[in-house]
Amino acid sequence: MSNRRSRQSAGVSTSRITDDQIIELVSKLQQLLPEIRNNRRSNKVSASKVLQETCNYVRSLHREVDDLSERLSQLLATIDAESPEASIIRSLIM
Amino acid sequence: MHSPSQLKRDFLKQWLKGLQMCNYPKKEMSILERKKAIKLSADVAMASTRNATSCWSLALIANASKDGNNKCLVEHLLGQESERLKMASTFQLAILNKKLRSKKIIKKSCSVRRVKKLAPRMVLASSVAKRLAKNRTQLLKSLVPGGESMDEFSLIKETLDYIVSLRVQVDVMRCLANASDLLNCKGVHG
Repeated sequence: MSNRRSRQSAGVSTSRITDDQIIELVSKLQQLLPEIRNNRRSNKVSASKVLQETCNYVRSLHREVDDLSERLSQLLATIDAESPEASIIRSLIM
Repeated sequence: MHSPSQLKRDFLKQWLKGLQMCNYPKKEMSILERKKAIKLSADVAMASTRNATSCWSLALIANASKDGNNKCLVEHLLGQESERLKMASTFQLAILNKKLRSKKIIKKSCSVRRVKKLAPRMVLASSVAKRLAKNRTQLLKSLVPGGESMDEFSLIKETLDYIVSLRVQVDVMRCLANASDLLNCKGVHG
C-alpha cells in the first residue's frame, strides 16, 4: 500500500518541472554552444541535438585543458635557467 | 554573478597559488607528474571560484580530496574555506546518494506496472522524457562532476555553470601558456 502511494507521489513531483522550464534551460545552453549559435537559426534545433552538442563541447574543453597542462608542463621542464625571462616565469609559477 | 574578467582574476590567483605550492617542494618532477599537478590546481582553483554555490564544484573538490596525495594541496588552496567546503560537499553528496537510492528502489518496484496504470499521465511525462533522451543525459552525467546523482533539471543548470567556468579556465591557461612560450622563445633567441 505505502509503495503505491509513494510511487504516485514520485510521478507528481517529476511532472511539476514544467516543459517551459526545460525549454528555457535548453535555450540557454544553446546560446553557450559555439557551433549552434553560428550555424543555425534557434528555432530549428531540437533539444536532443543541443544536449549532444553540449557533450561534445564539454569534452573538447576537457581536452583543451589537458593539452594546455601538458604544454605548460613541458615548458616548465625545458626552461632555460639563466635568462631573465625565465626568472619572470619562475617567480610567477615556482 | 561575477563578471567574466573578475572570474578570470579569481581563478588565476588561486591557480598560481596552487602551482607555486606544487612546484616549490620538488624541483625535479617528471613531465607527467607536473602536468597532473598543473591540471589539479587548475581544477581546484576553478571549483573554488564558485564558493560552494554549485553542485559540480563541491563534487570536484570532494573527488580531489579523496586522493591522499592531493589532500594537502586542496586544503592549502582553499585555506579556511576548505573545512567548510569539504563538509558541505560530503553532506550534499550523501543527501543526493540517498535520494538516488530511494528513487532507484521506487523505480524498480513499479517499472512494469507504470506502463499500464499511468497511461494518461504518461503523455505529460513522456513529452518531458522525449526532450531529454536517456543516453544523452547519461553521457552528460558522466562529464559533469557529481552529475550521476542529479536529476535532469539540475543537471542542465549545473552544466550551464560548468561550461562558463571551463571556458574561463581554458582562456586563462591559454594566456599563460602563450605568454610563457613568448618569453621562452625570447630567451632562446634573444
